[in-house]
Amino acid sequence: MSVLKITKYLKAGRSKANLWLMLVAVLLSFGASAPRQDEITKEYQVKAVFLYNFTQFIEWPPDAFAQPDAPLVIGILGPDPFGKYLDETVQGEKIDGHPLVVQRFHTLAEIAHCQILFVNRDEKSEWKQIFDYAKAQHVLTVGDVTNFSKQGGMIRFFPEDNKIRIRINLTSVKNAELKVSSKLLRLAEIVEP
Amino acid sequence: MLRRNTPIQQKLMKVIMLTSGAVLLLTCSSFFAYEFVTFRQSSMRELSTLGEIIATNSTAALAFDDSTAANEILSALKAERHIVAAGVYDADGKLFSYYRASRNQTPFPTVPEADGYQFAAAYFGGYQPIVQGDKRLGTLYLKSDTGAMYERLKLYGTIALLVVALSFLLAYLLSRNLQHGITTPILALTETAKAVSDRHDYSVRAVKQVDNEVGVLTDAFNHMLTRIQEQNLALNESSAKIVAFNQRLEQRVAERTAELEASNKELESFSYSVSHDLRAPIRSIHGYGNILKEEYASVFDAEALRLIQTILRNSKRMGQLIDDLLAFSRLGRKELMRFDVSVQDIVQIIVEEQKSIEGDRPLEIKIEKLPNAFADLTTLRQVWINLVSNALKYSRDRERSIVEIGSFEKDGALIYYIKDNGAGFDMKYYDKLFGVFQRLHSQKEFEGTGVGLAIVQRIIAKHGGKIWAEAKLNEGATFYFTLSGMSSSAVAVNEN
Repeated sequence: MSVLKITKYLKAGRSKANLWLMLVAVLLSFGASAPRQDEITKEYQVKAVFLYNFTQFIEWPPDAFAQPDAPLVIGILGPDPFGKYLDETVQGEKIDGHPLVVQRFHTLAEIAHCQILFVNRDEKSEWKQIFDYAKAQHVLTVGDVTNFSKQGGMIRFFPEDNKIRIRINLTSVKNAELKVSSKLLRLAEIVEP
Repeated sequence: MLRRNTPIQQKLMKVIMLTSGAVLLLTCSSFFAYEFVTFRQSSMRELSTLGEIIATNSTAALAFDDSTAANEILSALKAERHIVAAGVYDADGKLFSYYRASRNQTPFPTVPEADGYQFAAAYFGGYQPIVQGDKRLGTLYLKSDTGAMYERLKLYGTIALLVVALSFLLAYLLSRNLQHGITTPILALTETAKAVSDRHDYSVRAVKQVDNEVGVLTDAFNHMLTRIQEQNLALNESSAKIVAFNQRLEQRVAERTAELEASNKELESFSYSVSHDLRAPIRSIHGYGNILKEEYASVFDAEALRLIQTILRNSKRMGQLIDDLLAFSRLGRKELMRFDVSVQDIVQIIVEEQKSIEGDRPLEIKIEKLPNAFADLTTLRQVWINLVSNALKYSRDRERSIVEIGSFEKDGALIYYIKDNGAGFDMKYYDKLFGVFQRLHSQKEFEGTGVGLAIVQRIIAKHGGKIWAEAKLNEGATFYFTLSGMSSSAVAVNEN
């Protein structure tokens, strides 16, 4: 949008006197790349809420938790796109007695016990390893990379009509012994591997 | 037949229909009343239940920001016709998704109000939280049309009416079929009773169809019929006997009467011929006696003359007896020639004649008004001659004979009477009064043959009348008589 504005200015300003103004405008528009950053963050704000909401529409088997009041851990693998939003969202929330906690993992090796794992890495070579882990440990794998769900990821966010939609790989979910609420399934696209 | 059957059937039907109708009406109206009273509550409950379902279903759509899915869920409300509007607000109170039954609706509230449902004039509705787990995700707004609600109430009413109508029809059909069990035996009994009374046929029997009270009634009725039939038979037999007996009696009477008549006739003709034949020799005796007395009066001494005189007197009396007897006998044969006769004139003349016979003896004869009679002149004159002469004869030894002749009317009959102050008679001999040759006084006291009153009675009887008398010894006698066939015109003339 800001690019469009600049072009308008470029088209409008034909005189020499406007040249300075143009320069200022360009400079300003570069300086105004902060809202663009906001836009991205807003998308991830929604995704952060979605991540939190998953905790309400997905049921984990009892052995996914060490004890009844063990925290429900939302893990992030790779760079954290949510910033503080996810922390803010889950702040003080509890699901069935499990307090919500966010943990960030930078490498595969770092991955510790968690219930939801947001995979923000494009290394498809790692995915197999991640998905196997998720299957064994009843971890809900979430990602927004292309083909994430087709490759065996459980839930993928994808944009459609300026909205974020959900795609679910039911087989993977079932393999991990997780139960997805029919209400959630109703909204989601189901993927057959 | 059908018309005759209707009353009891109708009555039964009426009873059944009224009872079932009352029960049905009471049931349905109480049902309806209950429905009406609890309608708001149940509508409210239904709306909140519906809201609960919608809210529960729309949690995920709200959680994952899918207004399309939310719209889909809300549009399912189309099935609920009374829902005019529904909306889902997100946790920030922003309208997230909505549904409208039609386009022309008042706008949605921009911000959800307090939870709960409320009634307004034409609508009722309210807000309900959308909760997943214990997390409130948003608010559901529902608005229901009360018109539709009352429409449902109307439907209830219609159903109730339909049920009443159907039940009524069913009751009618059932009762029409079931009442046959009660009415048919009664009607059959009635039919039999009617047949009996119409045709007087006591041989008819009612057929016993059931074994209840009506059956007992039927038996009793049949038993009664049997008894009546038996009694009737006995009655008929005895009355037949009576009829036969009467006929025999009548026949016997007729026979006897005929016999009597025949013998009477025989007797009459015998006495007539006897008296007729006796007349010639007695005249001969009298005639030769007279000759003997006149031709040989100088020869006979006093004793011989007295004997001759006795012979003459007795033969004369014998002749008189025979004449009277002949007159009496002739009456039996004579036909009456009836005319309008002036009794007044007849009596007047006879009294004058009799007066002259009596000489200068003191007499007091009073003649009252005497109406005309429709009678045979000759014989009626005979009646009056005999009665008047009798009255004078039997009062001869009184210082003064007082005779009263008159008439009066009694029970529409004209009665003539003649009363004297003479010797009268003892009523215990009344039976002999009108007999032939029967006399209540001796020949020495009062001369006579004893035929006079017999003749009088016979004449009056021939006229179809009746004679009777009242008397006391030495205190006079009164004779009364009627003549049937008296001309009414004559009576009328005399009255005038």
